[in-house]
Amino acid sequence: MSDDRGRQQVEEPEEWQRLDPRNLLLDPVKALGQFLVPAVIALVGLSARNDGLPWWSLPVVVLGAIAFGVLPWLTTGWRITDTQFQKRTGLLNRTTSTAPLDRVRSVDLEASLLHRVLGLAKVQIGTGVDDDRITLDAVSRERAAGLRAHLLARRQVAVPAPAGAPHELDDGSGEANGPAVSAPAPETLLAAVDWSWLRFAPFSLGRLVLLAGLVGLLGQFGEDLPFLDEEHLTDGWRWVTSFAVWLVAAVVLVAGLVLWVLVAVTGYVVQWWDMRLTRGQGSLHLTAGLFTTRSISVEETRVRGVELREPVLLRLVGGGELSTLATGVGSEGVTRILPPCPRPVCVGVGDDVLGAPGRLTTDLTPHGPLARRRSHVRQALTVLDLALLSVLPVVLLDVAWLGWWLPVAVVVVGLPLAAVVAEASYRHLGHALDPTHLTVGHAQVARLRTVLETDGIIGWVLTESWFQRRLGLADLVATTAAGAEKVLLRDVPRDRAIALADTATPGVLTAWTA
Amino acid sequence: MGAWKTRGMTQAPATPPPAGLREPAHQVSPRAVGYWRIAATIPSAVVAVLVVGGYVVWWLTEGRPSWWALVLAGLVLVVLVVYPVVMPPVRYRVHRWEVTDTAIHTRAGWITISSRIAPLSRVQTVDSRQGALMRLFRLASLTVTTASAAGPITIDCLDAEQARELVATLTAITGASEGDAT
Repeated sequence: MSDDRGRQQVEEPEEWQRLDPRNLLLDPVKALGQFLVPAVIALVGLSARNDGLPWWSLPVVVLGAIAFGVLPWLTTGWRITDTQFQKRTGLLNRTTSTAPLDRVRSVDLEASLLHRVLGLAKVQIGTGVDDDRITLDAVSRERAAGLRAHLLARRQVAVPAPAGAPHELDDGSGEANGPAVSAPAPETLLAAVDWSWLRFAPFSLGRLVLLAGLVGLLGQFGEDLPFLDEEHLTDGWRWVTSFAVWLVAAVVLVAGLVLWVLVAVTGYVVQWWDMRLTRGQGSLHLTAGLFTTRSISVEETRVRGVELREPVLLRLVGGGELSTLATGVGSEGVTRILPPCPRPVCVGVGDDVLGAPGRLTTDLTPHGPLARRRSHVRQALTVLDLALLSVLPVVLLDVAWLGWWLPVAVVVVGLPLAAVVAEASYRHLGHALDPTHLTVGHAQVARLRTVLETDGIIGWVLTESWFQRRLGLADLVATTAAGAEKVLLRDVPRDRAIALADTATPGVLTAWTA
Repeated sequence: MGAWKTRGMTQAPATPPPAGLREPAHQVSPRAVGYWRIAATIPSAVVAVLVVGGYVVWWLTEGRPSWWALVLAGLVLVVLVVYPVVMPPVRYRVHRWEVTDTAIHTRAGWITISSRIAPLSRVQTVDSRQGALMRLFRLASLTVTTASAAGPITIDCLDAEQARELVATLTAITGASEGDAT
């Protein structure tokens, strides 16, 4: 119903429309936020040098922020013509971005806490070109939803999904003829967050960066904290060392772990609150978020494949992460559609998205004993490199106490570890090809399985190093516009690589294989 | 004009044809060897001068450098001399290209060799590039890009005239294909 209202609004004649007036509240606050850190730093710097601030500093900052907020609102306009979505910005340099309506691939809505308080949403419109997404920040929530429905509906009329596209071969649960129907089909729920998945949060290290950033920040401001001077520190150290060292270490460890679990779980809840993955109108829709709600739609014909990621820690507890590889959905094109969750859930949703079961679990053709040898050699060389590096401080800095046992220790500990990693990495190395999809297994630290539609392969790169040529192996890269834009098959026997490429993209290699 | 074609196609294959995938038919302009040599000599010379200069300063101020430092410098100098001598002819023998009505195939490299193939229906842009030094040698490079950042295909150092014609041909072929090539 809100869709209908929105549609009426956006189908009004082709005059330039402003962003929502509530932007006048939003932008200055946002600009102030952006200015806050540099401004505070500058002010602190100034006040440290002279005593006291110049009286005009505060109004300047505030006025600047307001100006930066009001200007975009005054100068930004958007409209929909019969064929194009247009947006113009800029005061002196006017830029007009346009997107042909039939090229619109994704319409994403995002609302930060601030947006939500004001009833606004940010609209991002993606076309086939990855980097150029048109952003409207911000329009009212109803209008954003209407705009999305309108644009996606237009796109559907313009580009009917090709018959027999793999995603239509369905599990027979009723939405099999999805993209072709003109009436909006009911959305099918593919996955919703299950709070028992929270147990995977601490095993996903993505947020470690956040924690590191926090520690770094503390370190920076730490210098100015009054109690952090040398006297206090030595006192503190003496106090600490009066306990047993192992006790101190244990306390630090436990505190670190508790902090980590806290950060990980909080992050998980904030990011994936009320996560729903649905399919309808020929698109996948993902909505999630506690404070900032994101709503991402990807046209299914644009989804060229999926990637199942199992980082070491997550694998230990039987979890995984699932992403889609799509074209035209912003940088990288890899969209995580599930939080860290049990592997069977990832596999199930992956099968749903791909339209046929089994590709994420099927056995892969291994690359053979030579590939295994190269895997071992590569890991062993890494260890030797590390050993050489550890020689450097001994030679250059003349650190006598370090002694020669350091490189020896690196080798003794490293080599068995390298053998284990190499073997594990080889075990998961492999590929499989069916009439519509190429499946590739790859493992270094994380275990990856990538399934790519062969239709989405737009070229091949066959790379042979000097050592690989002696073994008759090659690295085969399938290039694609989706996801990370390439899929690597490492150390495939050369002839098999060529046969594989020839089968996957019939006709492309024919001139050179005959 | 037809000269390059005959030359490219009649020349005996310098490396044995790999099983499975025939090598592309044409070689680039033979002037590429000279160009690559000059282009490699300039940075080599600069680095060599810097290294020798650094060592002379070291010798004058700190006394004779230790033996391993001298050996290291010697090795670096040998590499700097050998690279411009050895690389260009090898690279010339390896670098081959061919364009059919449906696909483009190149092979390039000298120690690590990569073959790149893309269907012309997926080609998005055809660029040619000619640096100042290349103009001196009447050479031009041609790059064909697809919608994948991993997939640009470059034919390095074609005869400039030939590059121009090839750009026209490729533009005509790719302009005719439908869709947005992703």
